[in-house]
Amino acid sequence: MTDDELRARLRRADPARDIAPASPHRFPLEEIMTTATPAPPRKRPLIALAAAALVLVAAGIGWLTLRPEETPTVTTQELRTVQLTATGVQAKCVEPTAEVLAEEADFAFAGTVTAVEGTTVTLDVTRVYRGSAADQVRIAQAGDSSEQMMGSGKFENGKKYLVASAETSMLICGYSGEADAEGLQGLYDRAFA
Amino acid sequence: MNVEGRRRRFEALAPAVIEAVRRYLVRRTDAATADDVLSETLLVCWRRLDEMPEEHLPWAYGVARNCLANAERSRRRQARLFARIATIDPPRPVTDGPEPEDDELATAMARLRDADAELLRLWAWEDLTPPQIGVVLGVSANAASIRLHRAKEKLREELRKAAAAAGHEGETEGSRP
Repeated sequence: MTDDELRARLRRADPARDIAPASPHRFPLEEIMTTATPAPPRKRPLIALAAAALVLVAAGIGWLTLRPEETPTVTTQELRTVQLTATGVQAKCVEPTAEVLAEEADFAFAGTVTAVEGTTVTLDVTRVYRGSAADQVRIAQAGDSSEQMMGSGKFENGKKYLVASAETSMLICGYSGEADAEGLQGLYDRAFA
Repeated sequence: MNVEGRRRRFEALAPAVIEAVRRYLVRRTDAATADDVLSETLLVCWRRLDEMPEEHLPWAYGVARNCLANAERSRRRQARLFARIATIDPPRPVTDGPEPEDDELATAMARLRDADAELLRLWAWEDLTPPQIGVVLGVSANAASIRLHRAKEKLREELRKAAAAAGHEGETEGSRP
């Protein structure tokens, strides 16, 4: 089967082959242009971030378990460990915004990496921006994570990170990364103000 | 930035973007989600008009792709929530549009990895070249070209298997006397 034949066969199965053109008035362009225009002053600082985020080819949406575990060794104080995992799906990133971060994230924290063992990264939590308190977070990452995050792109021992997750997946695409990556701290401050 | 010029540019390119992105979405999700995601895609296009390249469709598909992924993530979350309250029908698969009549093709496509099937859809349905596919997926033109080539090979292979399973002769099984 030639390429042309293959393409023709696929086209016959195109679900949109027979749909009528949309009425141009169905989409409120005017509304979009008027409601979205006032944003720029606040958006400006994000443009550099957006450019950086666009470059990120992200691996990420995971099936994580965000589950509290009691650590039996500590008795005086409840030590809560959160477990996150990240497995690879390719995604193109759009501009990260505080609004999206605020809406999507159900858990967000600042922490310092205390161990990187194989594919498991352990962070000691220094501040929880959203979600219930945790002392430690473990992130199990699948594959090479070098392009997932803001900053140097990977977890390194001793460095500080800002990490957000949504219903069990670590948010990447400019929403998690080194704490001193350009704009990231500001994004967190605005999202979780 | 000249506001009037910006508006004129957006108004000029919006109809083509609307038409193309709407089809893109109809091929991949249900009608209600398609409408929502289209509006969101337009909003992103308007906000980021300055970044939009001259060849704007592949870029717009890339935005739509991401907005759709976000929408489906929220929908999955919502579905899980509802599932706790009541038993509901499972979310329909994305490819479940108007029933494809070519069962062998549907079977073969379903057996491909999602990423391969998506490359083929972008190539055949959105009519994109490998460099344009690269823009949509955020990979290099070269990578898109290689992956597309492999995806076509895999589809041909699956079509042969599907045909064989359906009891016809596979197209390349020509070694019989």
